[in-house]
Amino acid sequence: MSEPIARRNLLVEYRLRSTKCLKCGNTYFPPKYFCINEGRSSKMLEVDHFYKKGEFYSGSVINEPTNRFNHLDTFVSAIISFPSSGVNIPGRITDYIAPKDTDVKKLIGRKVIPRFRRSHSDGKDGLIHYSSHNFSLESDYYPHQKYETVKTTNINGKPGIVGYGVYLPKFRIKNHEPAMGVIERSLPFADEDTTTFAVESGKRALIHSAIRNQEVRKCFVGTESSPYAVKPSMATVIQVLELGEKMNGGFFSGGIDSQFACKAATDLIIDAAGLVAYPVFQGKYVMVIGADNSQASPGDRLDYTVGAGGAALIFGRDDVIATLDHYLPYTSDTPDFYRRGGEKYPKHGGRFTGQPAYFKHVVTSMKTLLKQTGFKNSDIDHVAIHSPNAKYPVQAALETGFEKKQFETGLIVKKIGNLYSGSSLAALSAILDIAKPGDRILMTSYGSGSGSESYIFTVTDQIVEKRKRNISVKEQIENPKKEYVEYHTYRKWKEIS
Amino acid sequence: MKMNPCAAIIGAGRTRFTEHWEEDPKAMIGMAGIKAFESVDKGIKRNDIEAGFFGSFLYQVTNKIGLIPGYMSRELGLNVPMINTEAACASGGLALHNACLGIESGRYDTILVAGFEKMSDRQDKIIDDLMFAADPYEFEAGYNFPGLYATMMTRYMYEFGKDDFRCVEALAQISAKNHHHCIKNKYAQFKNKGEISVEDVLNSRMIANPIRILHSSPISDGAVALIITKPEVAKKYTDTPIYIMSSQEATDHVSLYTRNKITSVTATRLAIDQSLKESGLTIDDIDIAEAHDCFSIEEAFFLEDSGFYGEGEAWKNIYESYESFKGSGHIPYIKNGKELTVNLGGGLKADGHPVGATGIRQAYESFKQLRKEANGNQIDREVNTAMCHNVGGTGGIATVHILARDIQ
Repeated sequence: MSEPIARRNLLVEYRLRSTKCLKCGNTYFPPKYFCINEGRSSKMLEVDHFYKKGEFYSGSVINEPTNRFNHLDTFVSAIISFPSSGVNIPGRITDYIAPKDTDVKKLIGRKVIPRFRRSHSDGKDGLIHYSSHNFSLESDYYPHQKYETVKTTNINGKPGIVGYGVYLPKFRIKNHEPAMGVIERSLPFADEDTTTFAVESGKRALIHSAIRNQEVRKCFVGTESSPYAVKPSMATVIQVLELGEKMNGGFFSGGIDSQFACKAATDLIIDAAGLVAYPVFQGKYVMVIGADNSQASPGDRLDYTVGAGGAALIFGRDDVIATLDHYLPYTSDTPDFYRRGGEKYPKHGGRFTGQPAYFKHVVTSMKTLLKQTGFKNSDIDHVAIHSPNAKYPVQAALETGFEKKQFETGLIVKKIGNLYSGSSLAALSAILDIAKPGDRILMTSYGSGSGSESYIFTVTDQIVEKRKRNISVKEQIENPKKEYVEYHTYRKWKEIS
Repeated sequence: MKMNPCAAIIGAGRTRFTEHWEEDPKAMIGMAGIKAFESVDKGIKRNDIEAGFFGSFLYQVTNKIGLIPGYMSRELGLNVPMINTEAACASGGLALHNACLGIESGRYDTILVAGFEKMSDRQDKIIDDLMFAADPYEFEAGYNFPGLYATMMTRYMYEFGKDDFRCVEALAQISAKNHHHCIKNKYAQFKNKGEISVEDVLNSRMIANPIRILHSSPISDGAVALIITKPEVAKKYTDTPIYIMSSQEATDHVSLYTRNKITSVTATRLAIDQSLKESGLTIDDIDIAEAHDCFSIEEAFFLEDSGFYGEGEAWKNIYESYESFKGSGHIPYIKNGKELTVNLGGGLKADGHPVGATGIRQAYESFKQLRKEANGNQIDREVNTAMCHNVGGTGGIATVHILARDIQ
């Protein structure tokens, strides 16, 4: 598929865009820019279905797909009807492994939710095509969430977090025995990758914060598993979530994909908080996303600790749920974990990744920030630490003088694995899920190569009101609809992504 | 029946439908063409041909050729007008329709009409190429062609079959019947496969639930050619021309998901309705039909869209017709004592489905049956009228031709 075709397709497919005639009410998917009833006097309104709920009208289990979709093995394709707008849209049911003898009639009438997923790619060196023509069954793993903006009340306060969202895929793999304390891990479905994680977590953060997407004018995506070596996931996030004011199919917003191993995203938190307070910045909000399909060479010890998923924070000054109060980075050139350009998997220095790398940076950063701020360990209610496994963060926390009750909420790595760039953000989110107004949270990340930074946040009253729009990390970890796969499937899906 | 046919078929030829691995598509059409010329009883000169109308779908992708008129000019040694038609699986039917328009307009007296497809050149990639006949959003949704028809079949079974297993069996009986019909057709792709049972169909590989491999027409290579003339000159070439009493085309959305209903094919309904009106016939006047059974559900749709059976009623009648049949001849569909025999040479399912050739093959089969020249596969009752029903995509286009032998 050529680049121009890809561009014009995505304008429709990312948001499932249709049009409606304002005169007669006729609706059209694919979008038409004149109405067959009204002709040249048509007045057409664009309608998108990105946040809407559809219904399974009819479909089929595709057991022998086209070459384009061969990587997905067996799946359901369907016609999805949207009664609210009167259009039908073709789509694929995702996160659903249909038995070959499935009676598709039984799916008719089921409610479904659009998901932004990878559809196919033009070989290994061509374009990757994404769309929202993918639907998960509403009653299966994901609840439907409405996106509604709420008028802000506390404005121009101290910069901080105004909303957040975590996305953990539905599928998991169990370790036969815990690997460095990691019991089970999330993994991408065959149509997921870092970009889809970034979009899904960003979408959830928008829903949670209830802010206008047009007012988010900067988006950072930190990752070390970008689907492209050159082409930012950030631009896809902006296009899908429509961040910034729209003009000619583009948006008045910016951003970058950043790279610093597992702290690619967290390093930019201070920049996000700084931007929203900077008078030249035209927006109100900045989105910071950490997402990874965490990579590990097959059979390597990391292959039993890596997870997959993403977490997004939105920074601003209105209706902040946690103010950003303190920050301290610490960096050195320490070659503990690296991946050369063109190489598929990272290499690491074995035990060298421990004491001289992770612990040195994490502990130094935490201890120094506590010292600078004058806080005692007991002044901190919760600690979120980058978690390459379930042992390192515990040891670092204990070494810094924290107790189990302070760090156990953020110790989610045991059940989801190492999310790489999303690790400390997801741990922070798990804490925000349960934090009370006034709680003080220390978050410390780590990125190989190496660096660490610590942030101290203070939770505000706003957190309680916004919590109702959240899908908590715990809900996702404990979701009874999650599905386990064997190692072969895990490896296969990880490689596709 | 009205007495004003739009054209007459005076000759017809075809290749066998199969995987012609080593044949060139242009050579295949040449072979069919020569047979068509040779079949003209009183002879015909090449120079009598005033125009050529051809139907093919994927030649640019599968065979890496274009400009079919130029190739045909070279093959035939003629410099007459040549027109190629692309309408997916209805390319052949539409070529014939356009040729009829050429005759009816008075522009031409004698036309060579041919359809061809050489699908094996692309082997397994053809499954993607065929999606050019669908909407791109359907392709993006992961659909293949069996999946699209399976989506129609699922809805049909949901709305009309409910959970009655006879509905499942009826749709398998269509395949079994069409295989039964092809056994004596020397050109059929599955001539040598022998009979298949309903159980064979229901135990065959599931390719797109609820469609199994034996509900599906195959990938085929083949070519078919007809020579048509204006009715007034037909008897100059043969004493038994087969008249084309009506030639109609209707269209509908290329996309399944934008149609009001997916349990019938609107283009078929419209084309048949117009065709019956044009010829002054009712569906009950039709003796035999070549229906577009790319997947068996499409033959059930034909039976309803033509009005032979009521909406949602085809499956029950198919079941009863099949179950009540005794004998070794063609298995007819029965309605109040009236018989309609469908797909006498095996249809797309068993004769084969080289996409662009199919619409012409339907006219070929009808031509042979109406002239009682089907040899061992000749229907064992007197028949005089035939309907040819050719569909493109999932119903973005349908062509219908009504043929008759004796029109006095």
